[in-house]
Amino acid sequence: MSGREEQGEAAGPARLAGVLAHRRWVRRALPFPHVVASDVFTDEVYAALEADFVRLLDGGAISQPSGSGYEATWARLAEHADGPLSLFLSREWHDLLAGVAGVGTTTGDVSVGLHHHEPGGAPGWPHNDLNPGWFPEDAPGPSETGVDGLVDYHHGPADGSAARETVRAVSALFYLANPPWAEGDGGETGLYDSVAAGARAEGVLVPPVNNSLVLFECTPYSWHAYARASRHQRNSLVMWLHRPKQDVVERWGESSLVHW
Amino acid sequence: MHGEPRRVCLLTGAGGLLGSEFCRRYAGEYDILAVCRTRAPAVPTQHEQYVDPLAPDEHLWENRGAVHAVYADLTDPHDVERVIEVALARFGGVDLLVNNAAHLGGYPHTMLDGDAALLDLETHLLTNVVAPFRLALRLAQESWQHRAADNHARRRNVVNVSSLSGTHTYPFLGQAGYGASKAALNALTGHQAHEFGRFGVRVNVVVPDSFPARVATSAVADAVVRLDRGDATGEAVVVDGRAG
Repeated sequence: MSGREEQGEAAGPARLAGVLAHRRWVRRALPFPHVVASDVFTDEVYAALEADFVRLLDGGAISQPSGSGYEATWARLAEHADGPLSLFLSREWHDLLAGVAGVGTTTGDVSVGLHHHEPGGAPGWPHNDLNPGWFPEDAPGPSETGVDGLVDYHHGPADGSAARETVRAVSALFYLANPPWAEGDGGETGLYDSVAAGARAEGVLVPPVNNSLVLFECTPYSWHAYARASRHQRNSLVMWLHRPKQDVVERWGESSLVHW
Repeated sequence: MHGEPRRVCLLTGAGGLLGSEFCRRYAGEYDILAVCRTRAPAVPTQHEQYVDPLAPDEHLWENRGAVHAVYADLTDPHDVERVIEVALARFGGVDLLVNNAAHLGGYPHTMLDGDAALLDLETHLLTNVVAPFRLALRLAQESWQHRAADNHARRRNVVNVSSLSGTHTYPFLGQAGYGASKAALNALTGHQAHEFGRFGVRVNVVVPDSFPARVATSAVADAVVRLDRGDATGEAVVVDGRAG
């Protein structure tokens, strides 16, 4: 395959062939299945993504306290999707991540956050992301995406109006707009095979290198955390795809859900 | 190649500079048991494979030569036993043992600086001498010793990776322990070559200059493979960037 379809317009993720720098990402089995990729986008595309992020950061848009114990600020991309970063809300990108993670039952709903850590800051604690995510009642069509923020993402509508409860299916983290990273600079994402391993800091560290990503299926065992304080500011996009709640209940049981 | 089964290589220090380079260049040619301490080589392994983001279910040719990584502390005799067990269970035998793992650390303030050099000496000897000794010995006892015909047919051999520091003194680098360990490895090579010759296993040593600073890492990897393909035993092959 040349990356372009022989006949007609490319469909689905293949439409992204022109923005990806290469087609060799790395799938790892340990400490739990995940995929990493460096130099994800072409130089031109990455530069546009970074410029869009910096525009939002410098303009004060990424200023909401994370509220989850992390010393970080964030913004919901769906509220600022008027530039190149909107790529991350596209159905093609959604389907690409779902395919690489091997999750075939995603709903088309995405939640994408722009995250900014100032230098320093406390490390996080291991969590698996198997959390609920609420979206409007009408599910997106096969070529659409649904975005978060239209109903209370964490708990659903307070007034009891109709909405869909999904569960996070795939987590992805894309690093951008960071100073050059070197060993010892910190700010890595840690992946662990257990909470205890996370507490002992025994796991795989994914450094915040620009234009790189890490993604994985959310399972009861996908333990990860902001591993250690960063010497520099640390900027990233965090993304989640979603699956029907029933899938998770059937596969791992109701008790596997981590409620907010 | 030539209808022969693929050769099996047990490579220590597989996550290091030379180990990684060896895997990159020769994983297509050898079935490699890649023994790592903490880092895996930068090639596909049973734990780590390439995936095409636009065709994630497609089988990629790059993954066909995936090495089998095993993590071990070779200064622990039990780990050495385990490595041999894994190699024999996974591949049924070993045709080439490359003793590449090494402890390099030098002391910064001369050997008179307290016990620093002495303490490091133990690690030098355990990693650079005892581990290669034990690996080759156990492999011989558990697989090679009574299979002389097979050993000849499959041209089985050991390549130890030494250093010019084992034969030359480089002042001010704090290399007394390291140099002594590499000198011992050179001596070990000669004795093992003599004794393993009885059952048809060759033993040689590659003696490189500093890589990648003074010689290309790939040149050292190629020297290992040339010894594997040749008939020499008891030889020390210097890789110092000079022709020949």
